[in-house]
Amino acid sequence: MVEFSQFAITGVTVGMVYALIALGFVLIWKSSGVANLALGQLVLVFSWFTYGMLVQAGFPVWLGLPLVILFALGVGWLIERLALRPLIGQPILSLITVTLGVAFFIEGLVSLIWPKSVAALPRLFPDEPLHVGSAVVSQEYLWAAVISIVLFVLLTLFFKRHRMGIIMRAVADDQMAVQACGVPVAKIFSRSWMFACVLAAVGGILMSSIGGITFGLVETGLKAFSVVILGGLDSFLGAIVAGPIIGLAENVGGGYLTPLTWPGVREIIPFVIIVIVMFIRPHGLFGERRIERI
Amino acid sequence: MSLPTGIRSYTYAQDMAIFRTRTHWVWLGVLLALLFTGPLYWGGEWLSVANLIGITIIAATGLNILTGYCGQLSIGHAGFIAVGAYASAILTNRFGFPFLAGLICAGGVAGLVGMIFGVPSLRVKGFYLAISTIAAQFIIIWVINHWTGVTGGFNGMVVPPASIGGVSLVSQASQFYLIMIIVIVVVFLTNNLTRSRVGRAFVAIRDNDLAAQVMGINLFRYKLLAFFIGCFLAGIAGSLFAHWTGFLSAENFTMTDSILYVGIIIIGGLGTTIGPIFGTLFIRLLQKAITLIAPIIEGAIPTLPAGFTTGIGPMVFGLAVILFLILEPRGLAHRWSLLRASYKLWPF
Repeated sequence: MVEFSQFAITGVTVGMVYALIALGFVLIWKSSGVANLALGQLVLVFSWFTYGMLVQAGFPVWLGLPLVILFALGVGWLIERLALRPLIGQPILSLITVTLGVAFFIEGLVSLIWPKSVAALPRLFPDEPLHVGSAVVSQEYLWAAVISIVLFVLLTLFFKRHRMGIIMRAVADDQMAVQACGVPVAKIFSRSWMFACVLAAVGGILMSSIGGITFGLVETGLKAFSVVILGGLDSFLGAIVAGPIIGLAENVGGGYLTPLTWPGVREIIPFVIIVIVMFIRPHGLFGERRIERI
Repeated sequence: MSLPTGIRSYTYAQDMAIFRTRTHWVWLGVLLALLFTGPLYWGGEWLSVANLIGITIIAATGLNILTGYCGQLSIGHAGFIAVGAYASAILTNRFGFPFLAGLICAGGVAGLVGMIFGVPSLRVKGFYLAISTIAAQFIIIWVINHWTGVTGGFNGMVVPPASIGGVSLVSQASQFYLIMIIVIVVVFLTNNLTRSRVGRAFVAIRDNDLAAQVMGINLFRYKLLAFFIGCFLAGIAGSLFAHWTGFLSAENFTMTDSILYVGIIIIGGLGTTIGPIFGTLFIRLLQKAITLIAPIIEGAIPTLPAGFTTGIGPMVFGLAVILFLILEPRGLAHRWSLLRASYKLWPF
């Protein structure tokens, strides 16, 4: 039982971070219909940039982290402006593959600037473990969960209350109508990319403060895909609910299945979930079921 | 099928022929002669590049059938190549299959695995399918890494060189002939496949799958067929790769490679026979050029960051994919046909 609550708490908290990264994906998908497959690489590059700011340049945390956020905003703007904007109106295949090109580019950039494969961030959170019931959880996980929840609440308020958020939802709903109302749709696309990059950056910082910076962060980004698939591509709520489910399945399943199967089974549980969801319920838990016409 | 003026067809066979004029045949002859005398004047290093190009062309042609013709984006192609590679290695190593039987079986096994992961394509498309093929990639590589008793796991696996009729193909040159003959057969068959009912059904599905279904194309059958053929060719390429390198490990088949194959067919030109060939030549020669040039640049400019040599390759490749998508979405194949048209119309 101790074991179980240990796995469960770790799983749910890590799942929160997955959900955070996944929200960035949903944001772009909803507003512009672009599937951002560069998610993993974005998480990687922002983690390394954090490393560059905090360790290599030696900035204090209060200066370094805002710089990372600024950098993320810039990267999001650049990607949208240079790679996505020229392709507006192109078939979905081009829109997906252009993000693959971006992913490749970022991967090259990362190994060009930071040739070493592993690094650790300085400690951002206090390190004495907390006792939750009988389980022992390191504080980093709980902080990650808390920060994720705060961001969810902020984002939800933003989309419900703020003018910009409402416009973004409107663009997701009907681009043509919004354009007719005089909203510059392309600007919204660029905003959503900037937002998504910030979310990826926060997710990257949280993940790498837990596990260090490795190439595995790309896979963390990919696990966010299993969150969006399970939750439904166009649903914020779906991402928030599915994130902890994926984290839970990964950690609890990994914990109990490893003795039965091969080691490292937790690495592929999210991908197995993707395949299962595809077979049973392709539009996910909360996604909109699309009805097509010729 | 643009032809010079004054060429007419008097029979259906003439109309459907791939090579129509004497000039076509002469060019084909020159090309084949150059290709098959290649080992005489290419050094061993370039010969191995040529072999890699041949193997990549086969794999890219498979992906082109699946993605370029049938419109089902697959980002797990390297995984299916891995299935073929390991299947062939295991069959020839453990069960003593002759190489050619192993080759065909490898294709079949990869095709079947591809079909399993292609089943979701009946209900989902676009991004969903891309994700489920990514899942396929990770699951396949994970199984290979952990099924140690069969695949050797992380330690990898030694593969004997291909042998046909008791002749062992050890040298690069002998492998070159084997690979190139298979490349020619594959490209020829693919070209004919895409002109047949099957190929036109694929194109119809790509352009609008609902309309295709209404017109009487069995989506279930044809999508799975596309997955089978695409992954069959991936398996063939994997088998050749296994016997060419002589040593397999899952690191040869990463998701990066899968993306590389998508990039290859985009740069070459989706849905054309010649596209994968151009794309492969472009990418593999670019990679080779970078490995030759990057150390020189690094030596000349010592202030460059330390990861320059490893990082510059993916950066250039990513940039090439983005630029091709924006500036020339129809790829090098389109440039090629423009070139041919202007050559035909010359001097006008």
